[in-house]
Amino acid sequence: MTVIDAQGLVKRYRTGGQTLYALAGIDFALEAGEFVSIMGPSGSGKTTLLNILGLLDTPTEGTVLLEGQDVTGLGDSKRTALRKRTIGFVFQHFYLLPTLTAVENVEVPLLLDSDPQVKKRARTLLERLGLGERLDHKPDELSGGQKQRVAIARSLINSPKVVLADEPTGNLDSETGRQILDEFRRIADEDDVAIVAVTHDDLVNEYVDRTVHLVDGTIGRERKNGG
Amino acid sequence: MAGRFFPAALMARRNLTRTKMRSLLASLGIVIGVVAIASLGMFGVALQYSFTQNLGNVGNQLTVYPNSGENITELTERDMRTIRREASPTATVSPVKTRVEPVSYNREDAVRETIYGIENPGELYEAKEGRVSPFRSGALVGSSVAETHDLHPGSQITINGTSVRIRAVLEEGDAFSSTNPDNRVIVPATSFSQSGYSEAYVIESTGTQANETAMGIRDSLNDREQRVFVQELGSLVDTIEEQFQIINTVLAGIASISLLVAGISILNVMLMSTVERREEIGVLRAVGYQKRDVLKVMLMEATLLGFLGGIAGVILSLGAGLAINHYAVGDAMAVFRLPNAWYVGAAFAFGVLTSIVSGLYPAWKAASEEPVDALRG
Repeated sequence: MTVIDAQGLVKRYRTGGQTLYALAGIDFALEAGEFVSIMGPSGSGKTTLLNILGLLDTPTEGTVLLEGQDVTGLGDSKRTALRKRTIGFVFQHFYLLPTLTAVENVEVPLLLDSDPQVKKRARTLLERLGLGERLDHKPDELSGGQKQRVAIARSLINSPKVVLADEPTGNLDSETGRQILDEFRRIADEDDVAIVAVTHDDLVNEYVDRTVHLVDGTIGRERKNGG
Repeated sequence: MAGRFFPAALMARRNLTRTKMRSLLASLGIVIGVVAIASLGMFGVALQYSFTQNLGNVGNQLTVYPNSGENITELTERDMRTIRREASPTATVSPVKTRVEPVSYNREDAVRETIYGIENPGELYEAKEGRVSPFRSGALVGSSVAETHDLHPGSQITINGTSVRIRAVLEEGDAFSSTNPDNRVIVPATSFSQSGYSEAYVIESTGTQANETAMGIRDSLNDREQRVFVQELGSLVDTIEEQFQIINTVLAGIASISLLVAGISILNVMLMSTVERREEIGVLRAVGYQKRDVLKVMLMEATLLGFLGGIAGVILSLGAGLAINHYAVGDAMAVFRLPNAWYVGAAFAFGVLTSIVSGLYPAWKAASEEPVDALRG
C-alpha cells in the first residue's frame, strides 16, 4: 500500500532578485514497511523534501498524497493534526526535552491528550528498544545512542504510518549507528511502518530497501537493495 | 498527579525549574509588586479605620441652627415642635439654650464662657463621676473642664456671681460631634430666662434615618425662607471617607508601578526562554502541537510564575498587614477585615494578570514560529 505519493514537487525560494530551486520537479512514492534513504550533497534539497513529506513545509508546485488523501493545500492547523496522527520524526540532535524523563519525552506528542494509556505505551516502546532500565532518567543521564532510542520511541508513540529521520546516525559512532539502524529495520519489518532517512552516512545504505540520490533538487540515480 | 490532569502545567513547571534562579528572580518582582499594593492598601484601610474610630458614632447626629443671616437668632417652640414631628418616634431631640456668662472656678477671676442649658441631659450624656439625672439644679461639666480645674461632684463654681454645685463630670464625647460636652458647662434649661433655643440636637438610630429627618426638617422649616441650617455629620463623614478612598487609590496606583516593572522582567525572562528553546518548540510543533498548544504551555509558565510570586506576596503582605494594624490601629488581628481581604485579593489578581499579560507576547512569538525555521537551527 502506498503511504506517501508525491508528484512533481517543486520548491522555489526567492532571495533578492534570484529564484532558487530547492526542489526542481521530484516524484517520490513510499510503500508501507519500506525503509528508504535519501542521500545527496549539502543543498541538494534533501531536507526540503523531507519537510514536505513530513507536512512541515508545502511545495510551490506538485501534489502530495498521504494515504491517498491530497494534503497539498492544507493549512497549518490541519497539517499539524495530520502530523500528530500519521507521522513520526527523528532528528540528528535528538531534541529531547531536557526537563522530562525518558518516558515523559516519549509521551510528549500525546501529552496534552491526557490519555492514561499513553504512559503504558511509552514504557512498552522504551522496553522494546532496550531502555527498560532507563525509563525515569533525564536525557543528560543517557548516552547518545540511548537518547536516539528515546527519540525513536517518541516517533512511534502515535503509531505512525511514516517515520521521517533527519541524519539519525549523524551524531553517533558507527557501532551505535548500527544498533539504531537495526531498530529502524526491525520497525519497518515488524510494524509495517515506512521509514525515510535523510543521511550522509553510507552505513545507512546497508539497511535500506532503496536509496534515492538527490542532485540539485532532482532525483539522480536510484539504487535498489537486494533487487 | 497534577501532571496527569494538567500536562501543560507539568511541562511548564519543569521548564521553570530548568532555570531556577531566573524564575525565582522573575517572580520576586511579582512578590514585591503584590506586597506593595496589598500593604499600601491595608495601610490606607488602617488609617481610615483609626480615623473612623476617633470619629465615633456621629453619622446619626443632626444639629439644627437658626439662620442668623436672615436675622433669625433662635429656634422657637414652634420650630421645636416641627423638628419633633419630622424626627422619627425613637429619636432623641434635645433643644439647647446658650448664654455667655462670667464663670469663675476655685475663686479665680471670672472668665466669660458659654453656658449650655439642656432640659434632659440624661438623654445625651453619661456621667463619669456623680449623677446626671435628675437635673433640676447645679451644673454638669465636661471632662476637660473638670480636669483643668480639678472639679468633682460637690465642687463649687461661680456663674454670674451665683455659687453653683457640680452634680456630675460627664463621660468624654466623640471628638467631631457637635454634642461633645468635654469643654462645656451645662445648667438646667429652666434657669434661662429666654424662651427660644440656640440649637437643637437630633439623634437618630441610623445614618440613613438621620439623613431623611434632615431633609424633612429642611422642607418644613425652610419652606418660605431659609430659617435654619441642618448640619449632618454623616455627610461630613462621607466626604472624609471619599478623601480616604482617593488617597488609597493613589497609593495603590503608585504601588502598581512596581508590578509593571515585574511584568517587564517576566516578559524579558520569557523572551529569553523562547529564544533558548527555539528548537524544542519547533520539535513540539513538528510532532503535532498546534499553535494554541504551544501558546498554552508558554502561558502556563507565565501563569505559574505569577501564582508563585502572588502566593508568596500574599503571605508576606499578611505579615506586613499584621504589623501595620498592630501599630496603626493597635490590634494586629484587624488585618482580617473585609477591605483588607479586598486589597490582598486584588493585589494577587493583578500579580497573576500581569504575568499572564507579560507572557502573551513571548508565547505568541514562540507559537507562531514555523517549525521548519526553528529546526533549521
